[in-house]
Amino acid sequence: MKNYLIIGNSAAGISAVEAIRSKDKESKITLLSSEDYPGYCRCLISYFLAGQIKEDKLLYRPESFYKDNNVELFLNKKVSRVDPKKNKVVCEDRTQISYDQLLIATGSSPKFPEIQGIKKKGVFGLRTVKDTKEIDGLLPITRAAAVLGGGLVGLKAAYALKKRGVDVKVVIKSDQVLSQMLDFEAALFVQKRLEENGIDVVLGQDVKEIIGEGDIRAVKLSSGKTFEASLIVVGKGVSPNIDLVKDAEIKTGEGIVTDKLLQTNVPNIYASGDVAETFDITIGKYAVNALWPVAIEQGRIAGANMTGDAINYDGSLGINSIEFFGLPTVSLGIYKKDKADTSLEELKLSDAKSGKYKKLTLRGNLLIGAILVGDIKSSGLFLRLIREKIDISPIKDKLLEENFGFPDLLELIKDKEKIYV
Amino acid sequence: MKKLFYEVKKCLGCKSCEVACAVAHSASGDLFKVFHEEKLSLPRKKVLSSKGNNYPVSCRHCKDPKCVDACMAAALVYDTKSGIVEHIEERCVGCWMCVMVCPYGAIRPNIKSKLPLRCDKCKDKLEPACVKACPTQAVIWQEEEVAR
Repeated sequence: MKNYLIIGNSAAGISAVEAIRSKDKESKITLLSSEDYPGYCRCLISYFLAGQIKEDKLLYRPESFYKDNNVELFLNKKVSRVDPKKNKVVCEDRTQISYDQLLIATGSSPKFPEIQGIKKKGVFGLRTVKDTKEIDGLLPITRAAAVLGGGLVGLKAAYALKKRGVDVKVVIKSDQVLSQMLDFEAALFVQKRLEENGIDVVLGQDVKEIIGEGDIRAVKLSSGKTFEASLIVVGKGVSPNIDLVKDAEIKTGEGIVTDKLLQTNVPNIYASGDVAETFDITIGKYAVNALWPVAIEQGRIAGANMTGDAINYDGSLGINSIEFFGLPTVSLGIYKKDKADTSLEELKLSDAKSGKYKKLTLRGNLLIGAILVGDIKSSGLFLRLIREKIDISPIKDKLLEENFGFPDLLELIKDKEKIYV
Repeated sequence: MKKLFYEVKKCLGCKSCEVACAVAHSASGDLFKVFHEEKLSLPRKKVLSSKGNNYPVSCRHCKDPKCVDACMAAALVYDTKSGIVEHIEERCVGCWMCVMVCPYGAIRPNIKSKLPLRCDKCKDKLEPACVKACPTQAVIWQEEEVAR
């Protein structure tokens, strides 16, 4: 009998519970959540805000999940510190919980820029169900909103607000949307689609001040211009929730540093999901890839390893898929290269008329990145070529062709093909 | 459990399986009515060619399904009993994560319906429609164990 403790009740935490229970039906599992909601599909909150899905679709697992898996769930339980020497955690409410094996899956929190007015009522991140419901509550009295940041969360927020009939301006510091996932050219396709659907995009500007006594009335840009907004959503990225280990001897960088087993430098403490720093196979460095599918995979491996397995994690990479107003967009691994960088090669196909853009980034004979806009059907194959580090030279001239497909990979993959006899 | 196999040498690339698939998943189930339906039914399988051979490509219902892991809406569930990756359409938001991670490129986005096109092994029927439709018997529906 072991005593498992998991901090965090989202993708990584839930996936770890399932992994542990598939091996160990008996041991105690305690799951702590800083939120007041059973495990939900975090990436769906913008769809919920948009009114595209009902609240019952938010739950990631059925309500009986915790009982069925014999998990003791504590909601509204925030851990303030981990004490690896005593194998226990201390919560904000001063309770202490001990463990034999600990998984830190505390996720991340929105970053708020330090500007005047940022603490005002009416300024939100879009991270939790609570955020979503609070924003939703203000919509009946909201005519215009400003979104700070043109990343995935910012654009999803803008999309949702627009769908709800609110005028939206997205203020972006860089010269393009989705600068952490697309190159300049691909970003133009997305920007155009957003603008055609009534979302204003303001590039190269920062919000300097949020104006209003009591209620928010406007925002002021770095150019000095102001525009009306009574609701602000901040999408300026997230930072890993690592405060709970800052006094412990747990190694951190941007996130909590993990090894191949997703173990921290303390053997009975693991980390997974948005809080974990893992080896990124495309950039070749340790990085935080705060993404749902990455968290699910890491949670499963960490959970299994906590039961005594020794499964190696292959490493992470940035993978994003999003659709705005009928324009699907996928980004994998390296999405931008320095003009001066001659070690990387780009294969590109761009057709503004049909709204299609494809760019593949190669290092030698290996694919290390892809951007696909409009036509994403081959994205899974590109991801496979990246992950399995397959020498693409025999199919290099086929990669961007319309009829490129799995049969082209047959001679290159290691697994013996079983379905084609 | 039964799975789809393909005898590549027999496949002519005639795409009869694609047509049969689209018809089987249409509202009417009738080839001559399909084109007039409000939502055009699209095939969940594609015949692709490489080096002179033709290969029908569709969801394999992997035992270790990457799409299920990636689905941020919990719209995909692997049913161990039926061996099918079930797609719960009411939960799907059309984010295309499943398309992005399928190692076989076997799931395609239907941008209009906002639902992925993926083989469901014609689960309500005795055998998938593509099996009967193949004029050369290149599509084989059999137990996994007896396959070569």
